[in-house]
Amino acid sequence: MTDAPARTDPRPTPARPTLSEVAATYPERRPPRRRAWAAVRRVLRHVALIAFGLVMLYPLLWMLASSFKPTELIFREPGLIPTAWDFGNYTDGWNALLDPFSHYLLNSAIVVLGSVLGNLVSCSMAAYAFARLKFRGRNLWFAIMLMSIMLPIHVIIVPQYILFSSLSWINTFLPLIVPKLLATDAFFVFLMVQFFRGIPKDLDEAARLDGCGHVRIYLRIMLPLSLPALATTAIFTFIWTWNDFFSQLIFLTKPDMYTVPIALRTFVDATSNSSWGPLFAMSIVSLIPVFLVFLFGQKYLVKGIATTGIK
Amino acid sequence: MAVIQEVARTRGAAPERRKGDGRAAVLFLAPWFAGLILVTAFPLVASLYLSFTDYSLLEAPGWIGLENYTRMFDDPRFFQALKVTFTYVLVSVPLQLAAALALAMVLDKGLRGLAFYRSVYYLPSLLGGSVAIAILWRQVFGADGLLNQVLGFFGIEGVGWVSHPDYALGTLMVLNVWTFGAPMIIFLAGLRQIPAMYYEAASIDGAGRWRRFRSITLPLLTPIIFFNLVLQLIGAFQSFTQAFIVSGGTGGPVDSTLFYTLYLYEKGFGSYQMGYASAMAWFLLLVVAGMTAVNFLASKFWVFYDD
Amino acid sequence: MRVTATRATRRRGVALVALTAAGALALTACSGDSGALPSDGDGGGDGDVEIRFSWWGSDDRHQTTQQIIDLFEEKNPGITVVPDYTDWDGYWDKLATATAGGDTPDVITQEERYLSDYASRGVIGDLGELGVDTSEIADDILGTGEVDGTLVGIPTGVNAYAMVADPQIFADAGVEMPDDTTWTWDEYVDIAGKVAKGAGDGVWGAQDYGFNEAGLNVLARQQGETLYNADGTLGVSKETVAQFFQTSLDLMANGGQPDASRSVEYQNAGPEGSLLGTNAGAMGVWWSNQLGALSDASGHELELLRLPGESEFDRTGMYFKPAMYYSISAKTEHPQESAKLVDFLLNDPEVAKLQLTDRGLPANESVREGILPELTAADQKVADFMADLEPDIVDNPAVPPNGANEIQDIMIRINTEVLFERMTPDEAADAFLEDVGAAIGG
Repeated sequence: MTDAPARTDPRPTPARPTLSEVAATYPERRPPRRRAWAAVRRVLRHVALIAFGLVMLYPLLWMLASSFKPTELIFREPGLIPTAWDFGNYTDGWNALLDPFSHYLLNSAIVVLGSVLGNLVSCSMAAYAFARLKFRGRNLWFAIMLMSIMLPIHVIIVPQYILFSSLSWINTFLPLIVPKLLATDAFFVFLMVQFFRGIPKDLDEAARLDGCGHVRIYLRIMLPLSLPALATTAIFTFIWTWNDFFSQLIFLTKPDMYTVPIALRTFVDATSNSSWGPLFAMSIVSLIPVFLVFLFGQKYLVKGIATTGIK
Repeated sequence: MAVIQEVARTRGAAPERRKGDGRAAVLFLAPWFAGLILVTAFPLVASLYLSFTDYSLLEAPGWIGLENYTRMFDDPRFFQALKVTFTYVLVSVPLQLAAALALAMVLDKGLRGLAFYRSVYYLPSLLGGSVAIAILWRQVFGADGLLNQVLGFFGIEGVGWVSHPDYALGTLMVLNVWTFGAPMIIFLAGLRQIPAMYYEAASIDGAGRWRRFRSITLPLLTPIIFFNLVLQLIGAFQSFTQAFIVSGGTGGPVDSTLFYTLYLYEKGFGSYQMGYASAMAWFLLLVVAGMTAVNFLASKFWVFYDD
Repeated sequence: MRVTATRATRRRGVALVALTAAGALALTACSGDSGALPSDGDGGGDGDVEIRFSWWGSDDRHQTTQQIIDLFEEKNPGITVVPDYTDWDGYWDKLATATAGGDTPDVITQEERYLSDYASRGVIGDLGELGVDTSEIADDILGTGEVDGTLVGIPTGVNAYAMVADPQIFADAGVEMPDDTTWTWDEYVDIAGKVAKGAGDGVWGAQDYGFNEAGLNVLARQQGETLYNADGTLGVSKETVAQFFQTSLDLMANGGQPDASRSVEYQNAGPEGSLLGTNAGAMGVWWSNQLGALSDASGHELELLRLPGESEFDRTGMYFKPAMYYSISAKTEHPQESAKLVDFLLNDPEVAKLQLTDRGLPANESVREGILPELTAADQKVADFMADLEPDIVDNPAVPPNGANEIQDIMIRINTEVLFERMTPDEAADAFLEDVGAAIGG
């Protein structure tokens, strides 16, 4: 067993080893005696990571198992291995509501895509201004921005409803998407401010000497160099919007417009029969897009300044 | 608010004052200003106004002056909510950040299949407020749940971790640490942003693993740590979903998980006292803004910016 | 900051606001025009009326209600009914917000604990003048929809709060099923203890009943009291409340019901995860319409029994509770069409055949007769039980007062205190009277 393979990622990755990877190999160049110990340590690390992963995943595995059980067995036989298999939860759940479940997935997708695009563009613009521009009242505006996320949604939602209702936006996706186009997610503005400030200022000074204006600095330097922050924003906006229940419940009134979280809620009701099997099945289905986005999106987390190796 | 403003000023102060970028700022902030006026400002101001009324949601509001605010201080459940929330914030935010940073370091690089581990560890956070989650937690933390079965294997008799008033809040704190995915990802992104040249230089100088962490990773990560701290704090003060789900919306057992926002929600939507709920919200805002201001003040001493 | 600087800032600020406002308007105009987003297509042809009908429930109810709506639209061309549904918890948040925004649905499903809140604030209007045919509904049932003498809600159907028992677990434990016309509360405690002893580990006699105020109401009525008086004040004595909580403690003491932690967990688990639903207990107190869900979950043939104590005191305490009500918004633009829909929902035999007992055993008596042959075995049992019970019911309670929805949370909180023995039944009774009094007085 040699040390070499562990250093190369088994999946297809950029052929050129990145600077950080090169850097990371330095301390490993040790006398051969230590190599065996390093291998053992690696195995131990894997074991620990897997064990911890199982703990993290147990509830999810339970949900997956339950989605294959007939509803009446879910609570009577709560073990991980079903004694009776019932794939009907998936077909039932898919068709249990007035529209097939794909309809709700599509609605959610529209809301989510609008939100992701909106947040990426508007928050990064605002962040550029806060991080790099000098203007009067900057700190006051920044404070106001932070303040806007300190009030709980529950007291905000009623005035919001009245506002959107007067614009005739209720039961459209506009109340869910337009605010994101207008950088109201202070979380992401602040996030990007922090990342922008981490980018060496010499870069834009140099660009400015070359005659670049702010628009070009923003487009050509800040955005490419903060890909991890943009990826983070995209992933989180996707996940949080996908799971957001309360505002979607309040602003969407016609069943045609319902999104996944609202559709899932209609499987259970405290006062009548609940379809737990179909609920778990559709919960699994609705987790798939989020998981895929995460798996795919996190690749972009690794392509930061470290890999492009600027300077 | 004045405090924040004050603090923010000291924080953002740049040593050299060049010609302002006013016009560019207008361009870049145009969407944000539009959002402020169109979407954010009205609800904010409206809720402030409503906090001085007897608004029930079902009827037009009537002005009652400071009554909501004075009533708060005679309300034992209000103090219970404050107590629960402060305990939660002070314990779980540092714990969660530490766990997230530690895992981000472990999962950063140097091992096969890290992308997979990362995704797996993030999965619990994906579940968010799914309706199914209350059931899932009962499977783990219930009196007959997985945790107690494992404990029983070692001869320890467990309790109902979410149903016993003495343990429910503690369990929620653990659960919060369990969903450290979001700050972990942000840390990871921050780690990726650290220019590789620093490590290269340090390695050539013969710096060890710990030295590199102390003198490169940690300082360069401070803006991100600061960001996570500020927003986790703001978020933790408003945490709602977990307690809502675990307690069936009551803040139970016996108000042991009565988070501030949960109580506020109960008052606003359950008792139709939206005026009181708004007053509670603005009191919360003052507290959180104060904490954030302190945070920004303190950040001068430990957050390292390159600019 | 110097004065001049402030002024300059302010002037620039004004300019900024004006500019961004213009930008914002442009933006909204754009998004308003975009055809990509589905919009709410009201309008349609001339003379078309659109009314919104809101209800809570789960997927089965949504499906059947949509079929009912289709049927209504077929029979009433020119009226379009827009459904608006969600689960129980979300329903009330949504309804309150819509009301605040002036978008109240035209036909609103209501529940007794919320009826008075909405009626007294003028959200739901007088149904008496709209010509809905209520002739087939018994007067004392119809009367449960009156607030201050005005008919604000018409009962869809009725349920009774009753004891559900699992004969198989009784048999396994070697305990005989009780005679529900004569058993007392003490006997109930006793029997539950015996079942728990006989059935072995992990099986209990009864699930704790103290989280629901309906049980307290029955106990109060048996002793000539009532939870709420007709004038909206509390009508229950401290002794009765204490007695109510004491029963739970007795059951825990003799092993008849699980420990406090498990009781809290079972209470949160709904019918499917309850003691009866998971074959872990022989008895539980439920609303009669939940018999079907419980039977399905348990896989056993469950029975309905009267609550204990019906012949122990002055009178019987059990009653019919309207499962829900149909109400009409006071501000609806289409009162006639809305009334037509309510009439159809209540009186059309085809509607009844579709929804059977999903909204309670139909309050309309002729419609009830019509669906009897179609019922499932469990629902058949419910119908028989109700028919059997009806002659022994003295009266039905008045509509709970404003703020009554808070009693759910208060009951859960105080009962948990009792179960964990952090309050004695006496202290709990005091706390209960004080908290509920504050809720309905405020």
